[in-house]
Amino acid sequence: MAAVEQQSKSLWQHAMGTLFRDKMAVVSIIIILFYVIMAALSATGIIVADWTEEVGPSYGPPSMDNWFGLDMFGRSVLAKTIKGTEVAMSVGLIASLLSLVIGVTLGAIAGYFGGRVDEFIVWFYTTFTSIPNIMLLVAITFISGKGLKAVILALGLTGWVGLCRLIRGEVMRHKDREYVHAASAIGAGNYRKLVRHILPNVTHIMIINFSLQFQIAIKSEVILSYLGLGVQGRPSWGIMIDDAKLELARGVWWQLAAATFAMAIVVLAFNILGDSLRDALDPKLKGK
Amino acid sequence: MSEEKLLEIRNLQVQFNTDRGAVTAVKGVDLDVYRGKTLGIVGESGSGKSVTALSIMRLIPDPPGKIIEGHIKFKGENLLDISLSDMRKIRGNKIAMIFQEPMTSLNPVFTVGNQIMEVLDLHQSHLSKKQKIAKCIESLDLVGIPAPEKRIKEYPHQLSGGMRQRVMIAMALACEPDILIADEPTTALDVTIQAQILELMNSLKEKMGMGIIFITHDLGVVAEMCDEVAVMYCGKIIEESDVFTIFKHPMHPYTKGLMESIPSFDSTGIEAKSRLKTIEGMVPSLFDLPKGCNFQDRCSEVTDECRGIKGPPVLEDLVAGHKAACFNPLK
Amino acid sequence: MNLYVYTLRRLLYIIPVLLGVCAIVFFLFSVVSPDPTLIMLGKHASVQQMEELRRELGLDRPWFIQYLDIVKSAFTFDFGRSWSTKQEISTMIKQGAIPSLTLSLPAFVISFVISITVSLMVAFYRGKFLDKIAVFGCVSMMSISSLAYILFGQWFFGYKLGWFEISGYDYGFPDFIPYVLLPILIWVILGLGPEVRFYRTVLLDEIYQDYVRTARAKGLGEHVILFKHVLKNALIPIITNLIISIPFLILGALLLESFFSIPGLGAMTLNAVNASDFPVIKAMTILTSVAYIIFSVITDICYTLVDPRVRLR
Repeated sequence: MAAVEQQSKSLWQHAMGTLFRDKMAVVSIIIILFYVIMAALSATGIIVADWTEEVGPSYGPPSMDNWFGLDMFGRSVLAKTIKGTEVAMSVGLIASLLSLVIGVTLGAIAGYFGGRVDEFIVWFYTTFTSIPNIMLLVAITFISGKGLKAVILALGLTGWVGLCRLIRGEVMRHKDREYVHAASAIGAGNYRKLVRHILPNVTHIMIINFSLQFQIAIKSEVILSYLGLGVQGRPSWGIMIDDAKLELARGVWWQLAAATFAMAIVVLAFNILGDSLRDALDPKLKGK
Repeated sequence: MSEEKLLEIRNLQVQFNTDRGAVTAVKGVDLDVYRGKTLGIVGESGSGKSVTALSIMRLIPDPPGKIIEGHIKFKGENLLDISLSDMRKIRGNKIAMIFQEPMTSLNPVFTVGNQIMEVLDLHQSHLSKKQKIAKCIESLDLVGIPAPEKRIKEYPHQLSGGMRQRVMIAMALACEPDILIADEPTTALDVTIQAQILELMNSLKEKMGMGIIFITHDLGVVAEMCDEVAVMYCGKIIEESDVFTIFKHPMHPYTKGLMESIPSFDSTGIEAKSRLKTIEGMVPSLFDLPKGCNFQDRCSEVTDECRGIKGPPVLEDLVAGHKAACFNPLK
Repeated sequence: MNLYVYTLRRLLYIIPVLLGVCAIVFFLFSVVSPDPTLIMLGKHASVQQMEELRRELGLDRPWFIQYLDIVKSAFTFDFGRSWSTKQEISTMIKQGAIPSLTLSLPAFVISFVISITVSLMVAFYRGKFLDKIAVFGCVSMMSISSLAYILFGQWFFGYKLGWFEISGYDYGFPDFIPYVLLPILIWVILGLGPEVRFYRTVLLDEIYQDYVRTARAKGLGEHVILFKHVLKNALIPIITNLIISIPFLILGALLLESFFSIPGLGAMTLNAVNASDFPVIKAMTILTSVAYIIFSVITDICYTLVDPRVRLR
């Protein structure tokens, strides 16, 4: 008689399985990859390197040649929209990474060491939270000299608070768990316990938060660019919407539509992905 | 002496729709419950025992679950045929259920009194408010809660786990039901409290003449509480008899394995020093059941017959009053 | 712990936080920011004029003194005068508060009522088609930029259909109503997505709790379960969330006020940031921070009052 041994799946395998069975999640991933590829192709000049070219009359409406119509200078709105993905993707990626690093570091330190260190960090993020976000964003961007780097810096420096709180809470809970005591018993030091043992247990929070921060960053960049604080000299969805302010009165709706649409699709994709990741990765839901 | 048959379940089948397809959690279960008797349903997690119990109350969440076959006759009336509003008149009133987690089974923002009153308001609305309050206090007293007049104003979190479970029992018995379904009511409690609760349940059964369905995976509890026992595996009943026979002469290898895995305190000599016995292997996933008998990959008596040519074994009377579903039952 | 002592302790926390806020404000606008005299006097100003202005504004004093100045004004609520409009800031705040409130208060209430109604419906029909559409709808609505809503709203409802005013404001009731209708509508639409999603999550978290199963087992109907058992529990996080968002009503909606030319505190703040009007920025930031702390303490107190588990130890 043979006893059948069943392999128990790890959290990641289980998560990947659940994720890829979720059709919406797969579609979202494809959409995001599409945008990333577009941004890369655009940045390297393989496509739309000629976006500044005048290809038709000023404010030409959408047609077979120009799907999204033309802007004030006769440039293809489609080309500008694609070029705008560079800004959106780079802002989203770098700002979220920055927030991630700051949030996890501060949260982990606060949660793990407790005491004065924790009090200080809590005071710090409470202070941060009490200043309205949009003011901080505008302020930091403004004094960092506007432009892409300023926007990324501002978003990165303001988006970490939520994650910090979450990580702090989780680390505090894990700190007293038995597996950490067990690690102590075999001589692990603080660094080892924190990084090698506790942090892997909060990776799912990081991932979910990252995908949500990405879309918040994209949306915020649009607002900052609209306010004139974002990228200068190259197309971004925010600037296109800013231009649309005047255009609408003349009945020119296609730049607003293109920018809104392009942004909405990728933001939606990130939202759906974030939800699906939460369903797949939350260890409490595993097995339900 | 014949007892009144309160519940008759025949060929109960419950299916769940998951993202990996439909799975049948309960496959053709037959059970009888008599007044004054305790029926124990034993099995591991996932064996379908809780699903069976919830089916009686029609508490299976739909979606994703559905009762696709069978009848559940309560005093002759098929519960699966009646309307939902009629079913609600039976829940908490004629058939009551208590659950495993007393910590979370009570609503934290309402007082204990409020929650017991709710049952009375629903099913005994002909009583005056004063009478209902008196009944609340009486129920709490019945389950052995000291100072019940004070307790009814307290919130669940102010009570200990054992107290909460007593409150659950009081709530369940407030309308004097015919059947009490207890789904692992003591699993989450301390061993000493467990003993008290079990004793309480037994005395109440006598006093109120109820039939009890007791679901558990703990054989010690079965021995103490149950008159009849049904053993479930992968959604089917694989053995059924009275409690003494099940313990002394189990016929199904699975049941035997369960009995043998109980560590014994009073063995001496070689036996005392040997390893704990387990049943080899793991419960198969319900998505991936083998052809033939579900237990074949773990069974010590397995033969080719078990592997599928004839299909799975059927539950039948191998000896009077003792059923087993096995091609090679133990003698 | 005694509720009064607890409240006092939490309120005292305002002090270190306010000091921190002042530090951040100071750091951003005095240390790092470009010289405001340049902006105020223009490119052709002489060095002398700039020096004079700097002295006038007190920018030549040591940083420590400047920081203390900020702290002083934070605690006395004496913010001085605006650099752009030269008005007394406290007057400006009093003037700007009313328009902001005529926008934010009704929007807040209407938004909550609609969102909670929709989420209750969605929670009741959970898992069914209505629920799935609702969730997808919320997420989609959240994915469209607020700018798009505003621009489209103004263009379509104001311009094309002519139903609402696009910009401007009239003081006094009921004159202001036509001017706030469209921004309130947009506010509600903007909030619908995230609010319904949040309330739905809270409600569903409760619906799947064990005590709901017990309630069903007692024979209660789904309506009673939702409106009595689930709602009371769900209101705890919902109300706390609601209260903590009140301080941010002070700023009104920066973008909405700006677009619709409503002379509220939000527009005032945005203008100040654009003009590097430091005193105004300082004032608004401090005001919001103080309000935030006070309301987070109020939230905590409400929490202890509403949740019996926290109230009685």
